[in-house]
Amino acid sequence: MLELYHSEPNLYFLKPLVALEEARVPFTSRYFDPASFEQYSPRFPQNTESLLNLEREGPVLVDGGTVLTSSFFILEYIVEANPAANLLPADPLGRYRARAWGQFNALQLAPGVCTLGCARYLAPALKALDQAQLRARIERLEPKERRAAWAAVIDGSYDEPLLAKIRERLGVPVKRIESALAERRWLAGETYSIADIDAFALLAPLPDLAPELVSERVTPRITEFLRAVRARPAVEKALAHARTPNPQRAFVPGAEPSRWG
Amino acid sequence: MLTLYHWEPNANSGKPMLALAEKGVPYESHYLDLLNFDQHKPDYLRINPDGTIPALVHGDRVLVESTPMMEYIDEAFEGPPLRPADPKARWRMRWWMRFFDAYFAPSLSMIGWSVFVGPAVRHRDRRELEGAIERIPLESRRIAWRKAMFNEFSAEELTESRRRAAFGTDALEKHLSEHEWIAGESYSLGDINGFNLGYALPLSQPDRCNDQRTPHIMEWLRRIYERPATKATWAKGRTQMVERVKLLERKG
Repeated sequence: MLELYHSEPNLYFLKPLVALEEARVPFTSRYFDPASFEQYSPRFPQNTESLLNLEREGPVLVDGGTVLTSSFFILEYIVEANPAANLLPADPLGRYRARAWGQFNALQLAPGVCTLGCARYLAPALKALDQAQLRARIERLEPKERRAAWAAVIDGSYDEPLLAKIRERLGVPVKRIESALAERRWLAGETYSIADIDAFALLAPLPDLAPELVSERVTPRITEFLRAVRARPAVEKALAHARTPNPQRAFVPGAEPSRWG
Repeated sequence: MLTLYHWEPNANSGKPMLALAEKGVPYESHYLDLLNFDQHKPDYLRINPDGTIPALVHGDRVLVESTPMMEYIDEAFEGPPLRPADPKARWRMRWWMRFFDAYFAPSLSMIGWSVFVGPAVRHRDRRELEGAIERIPLESRRIAWRKAMFNEFSAEELTESRRRAAFGTDALEKHLSEHEWIAGESYSLGDINGFNLGYALPLSQPDRCNDQRTPHIMEWLRRIYERPATKATWAKGRTQMVERVKLLERKG
């Protein structure tokens, strides 16, 4: 039986939950709390890849002793191990589009959404904890990139000028997705695929975090897309894994933005 | 009809070049000189409005993301498979390609742009360079070129890039000490990706990547270098850059 280690059904964690429900693959849910740093415990499933994982707080799928990380590649794994799920386009160009969107959104969309979400929701939640204990815990995180990602949430790095810059930059992927949805019903072609699951999970928090970027008025196609995916029974089941009233407010630092500026 | 727009067999350009060579797929090669900003000229922007290299044109299809492009090449053409059949091995291949593309390569390329790309264009007229920056479509690329042209990389970011290059080298050495190839048991797109990133590591990181410290990386690079497709691909280079690969010749 597959085991999925996940937190609240939002962003990275929402993707494999939706894909497993779409593919009707039975799995054991292993819920964890990222803010307790459970995923850094030696008892948590790990391998070379999970320790270096660029979305370190993200979901972990364990299949027969193999530990799989990196949320879009977990989606590809789920659909390739369960071809009957039909969540990849049948033609090579459609599959290229799905993978190109997976890469583009992981690098251009996810880091900005995570930062906006962490600044709005994770930072105040962490402020409520014992600060000395929290800092001591963050100090012990490895590798250095993760230490820096968590420290940034509490040390005041997420100031308004930085968040304004992030919102401005997020305009690029948002516009690109809006135009793509004008050309095709779904991101990779005429059929729903893992590219849509991926984009849905990353875009869904934006009407709340940055309504000037995603709203009925400025992005009618994305709004319709979010509505269509949200209405799928598999998404409903995935969201039922929530343990808080507002899973769309649960954020982890996740992947870092490009270091090239 | 298949046309590849590319620069030297190196980094992103080299990925589809080597994948096509391994598959034995003939293609029309269209060389763009990165240092002459050919990739930002109107002729090319009509093909790829982002002005990034490479681009693969297959009939009326245009593909511009080099890693997914390699998977397309493997799926759309006959020839030896370049991805393992086992889904777990495929996952491993993709995981490492992302680690190369999003972690290791940006750090190595920042070092490369500061010591090679920047100095190669910096002597040109300032107004010409400013004009060249103006024509770059993507803001992220404008920032990169500006830093390279005017040597605006900070000491901090270069130090961090060197630290990451060292960290990435050690992670790769560990992985290759446990697996013969990136995906596991067979040569794949993961190795093609990694070779394009790492073939010059013994030259650019001599203290970090050498026979004593990273014997598995060295052996892996040599095994890839010895493949006929690699030799044929690096023979397509037009500048001194490709000479670096000869460092992988076995001695004696």
